[in-house]
Order: sequence, then structure tokens, then C-alpha cells
Amino acid sequence: MRLSDIALWVFTIAFFVFMILPIAVVVVISFTEAGYAAFPIPGWSLKWFARIFEYEPFIDSLITSLWLGVVATVASCLLGIPAALYLSRARSGWATAITTFLLSPLSMPMIVIGFASLFFLSALGFGVSFLSLAIVHTVICLPYVIRTVSAVYRAVPPAYEEAAMILGASRLTTFREVTLPLIRPGIAAGSLFSFLTSFDNLPVSYFFGSAQTNTLPVVMLAYMEHQFDPSIAALSTLQLLLAVVALVVADRLYGIEKMTVAT
Amino acid sequence: MTMNRRRFLGTTGATTALLGLSGLPLRAQGGTLNVTAYGGVWEQAIRECFVAPFEEKTGASATVSLGGPAQWLAQVEASPEQPPLDVLIMSPDLAVLAAEGDLMDDFTTEKLPNLQYIPQEFTDACLGKGTYFDYGVGGITYNKQIVSEPPRSFADFVERVSSGEFIASVPSISYGPTTVFFLWALNNALGGDVDNVDPFFEAMAKMKDNLVFWAGPNDFFNHLASGEADLGIYFDGRTWNHVDEGVDWIDFINPEEGGAMTAVAIQKPKNASDLAWDYLNEVLDAGNQAKFAEILNYGVTNTQVEYSEKLASRVTPLAEANLPPYADIARVRNEWIDRWNREIGM
Repeated sequence: MRLSDIALWVFTIAFFVFMILPIAVVVVISFTEAGYAAFPIPGWSLKWFARIFEYEPFIDSLITSLWLGVVATVASCLLGIPAALYLSRARSGWATAITTFLLSPLSMPMIVIGFASLFFLSALGFGVSFLSLAIVHTVICLPYVIRTVSAVYRAVPPAYEEAAMILGASRLTTFREVTLPLIRPGIAAGSLFSFLTSFDNLPVSYFFGSAQTNTLPVVMLAYMEHQFDPSIAALSTLQLLLAVVALVVADRLYGIEKMTVAT
Repeated sequence: MTMNRRRFLGTTGATTALLGLSGLPLRAQGGTLNVTAYGGVWEQAIRECFVAPFEEKTGASATVSLGGPAQWLAQVEASPEQPPLDVLIMSPDLAVLAAEGDLMDDFTTEKLPNLQYIPQEFTDACLGKGTYFDYGVGGITYNKQIVSEPPRSFADFVERVSSGEFIASVPSISYGPTTVFFLWALNNALGGDVDNVDPFFEAMAKMKDNLVFWAGPNDFFNHLASGEADLGIYFDGRTWNHVDEGVDWIDFINPEEGGAMTAVAIQKPKNASDLAWDYLNEVLDAGNQAKFAEILNYGVTNTQVEYSEKLASRVTPLAEANLPPYADIARVRNEWIDRWNREIGM
């Protein structure tokens, strides 16, 4: 093995250790028996996982976050897929402008989107509600669906759809039988990113938090500011587990490699 | 498009589900009060000490919204005619801001009989549109296993940290209350005032090689637990909470000059439900406050409260704490932050 290969191996291992170690520390702390977060831990216990289920706001907000993630993802797909299909094939300058506009939430500070949306939606009468949260989360999830679906669709030769239509298929049949199967990896990747973006979002959800609409990150922040126990570490471990499970399921269904190649 | 039975049921179901989830925009409703609380033990104490007696006496119900003052104030500002919250828990500086913005109702003893037991200066500090109900004091928390002779005053703290005897963990400017319980308090102790913060920045320049900064209260504890710092500037109540959780190696000192009182204010937004007055009166009740103090290890403001023996030895008496001039600090806060960013940077 050459020296440069050894150096590359060392760098790669060091990089992964640097990335994974902080997460590993949080996971280990979630199993501590101590009443405070400190590393190394004095002993092992599952009591902080039990605490998650004892503290009602954690569970209520987890349910809200899951619902919100699903609603925002579905809405993003309903709006984003047609937009991506049209904009991918359009040639006008307007199409570029609209694409940039739809992707703009990616480049704006989330806290600005949250603050501005609170005032805008309150003026429209939606106020602090799940509907408002769903609208704003859809806005921030939309770019992920548009970006991934567009990337996949651009790689699909128009000839496939043209051939279907020449053979007599209607637009709807062409979409259902030809386009949809071809863009499915893009939809899956976009939906996954969209759900995880919504599920982890704090800055936007923060402004729409109430007893009925608090999401898990908002409750975690409120808890952390005035409580010192490691239940947040336990909750983070469960969230990590959820993300890993989502990725594994996506991999089994569509193949992570196919998704990443497509995007 | 024709609307067949299946499509009608599907559309109706989806709409109902969405509206059901939304609960429609949150509004102050007749028999339900929307109150606020910080998370964790705070929320549980609010439910136990204030919400439960309120519900018992009025027959109304209250929902508790978790979060923070900036979030709640923004929500009220966005809908001042129909505020989504009926009672706000506020930091003193935002309480002043909300009062100056004419977003809050006046507090009077006619509406709140228990207000007569709260020192007038706390209501004045909220410009008459709120009052303080709970307070902590910022002082010196130290690791007993390392620091056998802790500094007893802010001046002593500065000297001994400057000389390298201790590594101190102090709050960074990214933590909201820093300008009050650290900057103002230390500056005040060293002879400065709101319009002259040179003593504070000179002290920081002297200590700079022996300081680490905490961005959130949990960081401070980690600094002490990991040995990164020996002592630092922290709150009395939080220190006692750590002790009660089994951390037997930390202790707290209120500096001789007096630490800054960091209070928690309560306010009622204009146009919020009148039921809020009943709830607020429960918050100011001596018995309820005593119970609240026992859970949180913080002082409370009703002068009729009698603390348990354990808590009496922990709570910093009101007379030994300094009430910061929050309205004056709000006027110069941006200048202080700008100077901090230029000279300290953390």
C-alpha cells in the first residue's frame, strides 16, 4: 500500500470518528443512571427512556410532529410534482424565475420565514394553528420535492412519453404508466427529505407553538432550558433511531444508491 | 367533474381531518384559558400550583403552552385583537417591551387582590402592566472539590480569576439574560452604571485568558463537571436543582455586592379572556407561590410566603439582591452588545 493510500485511509477514519463521536456520546449519555448529563457515565440505566413516556408533552408533541411531517410531505408532493414536471421541460425565462422562487426557502434563514409567516398568516386569520404550521412546513419542504423530482425527470428522455402518446395513451395514462414509475425514486427521495426536514424543524415551528400545536423540537428546547436531566439525550437517541429506520426502509423500497444517483 | 358519494365522503373526510387537526386558530375562549410555561419541571409546577387551584375555584379549564417569552410575545403582536394566549410568562426586558408597546393590560388590586402582597417596585418595573412572581439571583457557583476558599464578592472573583487562580465559566452574549445578570451586575459591583460600562469591559480584559464561555445553562454545568472550569457565574435556583439531582460537589454564593435579580414576570395581553385575572390571582397567592418555590428552588415575590427551613437557607432574600433597571438597560442594550462583540467576541 502506498503512503498516499495510507494517508487517505487515516484521513477517512479520522473524519468518520470526528463526525460520529459526538453522536455516540449523546447515545451513551441517554443510558446513564445519573440525574444529569455528564460523560463518562457512572452507570447504565433505561430510566431516561421511561421518562420520555412519563412526560406527556413529549408524546403529544411527537404525535403532532409525525402528523405534521406527513401532511407537509403529502402537500409538498401534490404541489411540487406537477410543478417539477412542468418546469423541467419549460424553456422560458419565466420558468427559471418560478423555479428559483420555489426553491428560495432553501436560501432564506428559517427564523425569518417563521417570523414573517406568523404575521402573514395571522393577518389572514389562520393564526396559531395546525393549519398554519402545515402551510409553512409545506413551503419549506416544497423545494426538496421539486429539486429531486426535477433532477430525475430531466434525465428521462421525452421520447418515452412521446412514444406512449403516439401509441394512443392519454396524458393521464402516460403520466400513470410511464412518467410516474420513472420519477418514483425522485419522489421517494424528496418525500424522505421533506419529512425529515419537517420533523426536525425548530425555527419555523417555534413561532406557531401552542398547547395544541407544539412540535417535538419546540418542546425539547423548552424542556432543555429549564431541566438538566438526560431525557433529551434519550429522546435524541430515539429520533436518531427513527431517522435510521426511515433510511433503511427507503433503501429497501427504492435503494438509497438509486435515489442519490438520481439527485 | 361530478360529485359522487365516494368523492363527497372522501373530500368531507379530508377537510374534517384537516380542520380537526388545526383545532382552528387558537383564541382566548370563554371557558378555556390559554396560559404559558417553560418546559420540564416548570410546566409541571405551573399545572400543580396554579392551574389546578384555578380550575377548582372557577370550574373553567386551562391549557398550558410550552415555549419562551420571545415566541409568545411575537404571537400576541401578530394578533393583538384576538391574542392566542391569555397569560404570558415573560422575561423582565420583554415585559417592559410589551408594556411599552401597549400590548398588555394594567395590573390593579381591584382586578388582582393578591397584588397587594407583591412589592410595588416589581409592578413598577413592568410599567404597571404586569408584575414579577418568581426570581433567581445570579452569583458565583463553584466546584467544592476544587475551590476550597471561593471568592465572596464580584471584586474578589475578578482579581482571583485575573491572577489565574481559577478558570471561570461565564455566560456568552448569545444567552439572553447575560446583559443583565452578568454585565450589569458585575459592572454595578465594580462601580459602573448603566451609562458607564467601562469597569465591566476592563475586568473582562483582565480575566480574558482564564475564561470559558457558556451559551446555555447546561453548558455551565458541563464546564464544571468536566473540569474545564472551577467556578463561574450562574443562578442560585439552578445550582440547588443540581444539588437535589445528586450533584453534591457544587455550591452557590451570593456576592457581597449583591447579585442581580433575574425575575419572571406575568402579564395579560389586551383583549385576552377576563378569566385570566382569576388565574393571575392564583399565581400571586401566597400558598400557591410557596408550593411553587418548593418545587423549583427559586424565590417568589409574595411577601406573605413562608419558606420551608431547607428553602429558607437557599433562597436569596429580596433585600440581598439588586433589582436591575430593566427599562434603562433596554435603552443601551444594543450598544453593550455591539461593544461586547467588538471587544470580547464570544
